[in-house]
Amino acid sequence: MKDCISLSLPTKSEYVSIARLTASVVANNMGFDIEAIEDIKVAVGEACNNAVLHSFCKETFDICFQVEDGTFVIEVKDCGNGFELDNYEAPDLSNPQGNGLGIFIMKSLMDEVSVDSLVGEGTTIRLMKKLAV
Amino acid sequence: MSLKMNTEFVESAHTWSVELVGDVDIQTSGRLKEELNQLLDKHEVDLKINCQSLSYIDSTGLGVLIGVLKRVKKNENEIMIQNAQSNIVKLLSITGLDKIFIMES
Repeated sequence: MKDCISLSLPTKSEYVSIARLTASVVANNMGFDIEAIEDIKVAVGEACNNAVLHSFCKETFDICFQVEDGTFVIEVKDCGNGFELDNYEAPDLSNPQGNGLGIFIMKSLMDEVSVDSLVGEGTTIRLMKKLAV
Repeated sequence: MSLKMNTEFVESAHTWSVELVGDVDIQTSGRLKEELNQLLDKHEVDLKINCQSLSYIDSTGLGVLIGVLKRVKKNENEIMIQNAQSNIVKLLSITGLDKIFIMES
């Protein structure tokens, strides 16, 4: 059975912590260990940062926390301008610039990360982590 | 949680000592950037950042530290990251930033 918790937050930086804390509570309830909870919290924060930074004048963005059989899926969807995924360049870790770190961090901390983005239609970031058996 | 910064110029060590308490995130990273640059405007020296009470940092905060490091390096100074908790050390490690800051425990 899949349980879903949905949040709709204003696209303002002061509300991102609500999503991070919600992710932590749900992950804790599922039985993730402290390190995994921290990983999930950071990844959700990065996905929400992306929504806040790129939604521009859109007033809200949506987060859906899905719990199913030891798998935690978080979808962060904004209706912003979207971006060309092909233009994303992974950061050069030997010469860090501060750009592109968010997606890199999410991919490092979660089991799976997918980004669907269309110019003019917004972006959905899907994060997944499984409970260690 | 918000961010609190305690700063002190240590004249004998020619260093700014900066203690970060709380979270550096999308809400607080702008203020961190502003305050670190203001310190460097007063004295262009090394920055020792005590992270013992820093509970969270995200890519916006790391971006601020990278930007400030460029300014600091231009003046042949360094940024020392002290007493970072394991979650912060992990982020610095996966992003490779532990190689460009001086890490002190």
